[in-house]
Amino acid sequence: MKYIEKLARIDRRIIYLILFLTVLLPYLFKISLPMKPLPEVVQAYKEIDKLPAGSVVMISIDYDAASMPEVQPMLYAILRHCFSKDLKIIMLGHWPLGIPLGIAALEDVAKEYGKKYGEDYVFLGFRPGVAAVMINIGKEIRSVFREDYWGTPLDSLPMMRNVHTYDDIAILVGLEAGATGDYWVQYAQARYNQKIILGGTAVVAPDWYPYLQSNQIVGLIGGLRGAADYENLVHNKALAYYGMTPQAAVHILIVIFIILGNIGYLALRRRK
Amino acid sequence: MKREVPIAITFISGVLLVIAFFIPHEPFGSLEQRFNDWYIIVSGFALILGIDSLLLHHWNKVSRRSKDWFHSLSLIIAFFVTLIWGFYSGIKTGHFLSAQSTFRQYFYMYVFVPLQATMFSLLAFFIASAAYRAFRADRFEAALLLFSAGIVMLGRVPLGNSVAPYMVALVFLIFAFLLYTDGRKEVDPMRKYLKIGGAVVSLLLIYPVGWFFLHYTAQTAGWIMNIPQLAAKRGIFVGIALGGIAMSLRIILGIEKTYLR
Repeated sequence: MKYIEKLARIDRRIIYLILFLTVLLPYLFKISLPMKPLPEVVQAYKEIDKLPAGSVVMISIDYDAASMPEVQPMLYAILRHCFSKDLKIIMLGHWPLGIPLGIAALEDVAKEYGKKYGEDYVFLGFRPGVAAVMINIGKEIRSVFREDYWGTPLDSLPMMRNVHTYDDIAILVGLEAGATGDYWVQYAQARYNQKIILGGTAVVAPDWYPYLQSNQIVGLIGGLRGAADYENLVHNKALAYYGMTPQAAVHILIVIFIILGNIGYLALRRRK
Repeated sequence: MKREVPIAITFISGVLLVIAFFIPHEPFGSLEQRFNDWYIIVSGFALILGIDSLLLHHWNKVSRRSKDWFHSLSLIIAFFVTLIWGFYSGIKTGHFLSAQSTFRQYFYMYVFVPLQATMFSLLAFFIASAAYRAFRADRFEAALLLFSAGIVMLGRVPLGNSVAPYMVALVFLIFAFLLYTDGRKEVDPMRKYLKIGGAVVSLLLIYPVGWFFLHYTAQTAGWIMNIPQLAAKRGIFVGIALGGIAMSLRIILGIEKTYLR
């Protein structure tokens, strides 16, 4: 029984080492595993896919570098989907530290598809005030953003001439790492009936299932799995897809650790 | 006056905003717009206030040589390096985040992003270690939570369906072993046979339960997320909303004054 009891006292450094190797090895050997996309991600994909060319999609960058490994692949996959369908993109953000991540992704993918700034996509940047910004967009986008992020007046950007309120935006995609997604639902959806897709870290995504079930959002992309599913759907397997193998291995490892810990704990308790 | 004026401002603003929400027509409609504009301006200034407070706090720690003052000093240095580099890049290239900006190319992408991502990724190590030490099936509720968490973790990743039966088999084997060894030591024949019977049932359940999870782990994880998880979340949301309304009313009516401290 002594050996079994030791299972409850594995040194944390051993756990860290095993975890490190579990993440590293699948990356080194580039192992990929087949996946069936989750229904909520397929729903999000279909909502964007059925938009006619020229429709405006607003993307909100509400995360920063800490959540980048999970959320940035979503952004790339969604941008690729939108540009391949000739949809117009308006990007803004409520997390100032995440703004450069949005710019980098937008510039990369726009270049890939040969899209022009001002005609096919616009970057509005950050304004403080979160809820007030969301409400004001519903009244007139120029009341919050008179100029784009680079200082160009909105009316001199061709694609913005006919965009004034949520009525001119086909879908809003909120990429989240916190509670900003809830604000989008409370203000843009509840007040202005804006169609919303939320994508975010695996930590915040479970909070949105009530919104999905009540049709307050029309799609949900949760965590690295959601990002991998979206990459799969747009036939562009990239970082998220290949990141799923280490994540699967780590999930299995944590479950094994929990079982081992409980075996040791039960053995100890029985002896006491 | 120090207390009455802020309470009066809060009361008037709160009541007007509530009216503007339910009557979005003149004169209240434009009033909401005006309040929102003010809110955006005040939020902008709040950022400056935050910077001031942060720097002052850390400068005090440095000047008094408080515990870990060196960390505070590195924060102040990092703050000014970021600020100066940002301004320099902005002046040189027209915008501090333009494609040619060294601030964006080097500082943001190669310093800030890896630092922040590293801080967050450390969580994986802590979560693994904490899950191992803290997730104990010491009560029925804890065991249920543990089992659900395990199924969701496996059901959300590829290979989950293939691995789950082995995990479940392992858990049932442990149950069977524990019940059997307990049963052997029992003196009361009734309890002895009950425990040994329980061990046999656990062994017999391995195959059907394993078969179920081989085929339905992902679906079970989906069911847990969409039904029990959703019900609990909805309950929490309703509670938060009611609490929010109650707290807002207390603030508007001047009953709650802690924000004045």
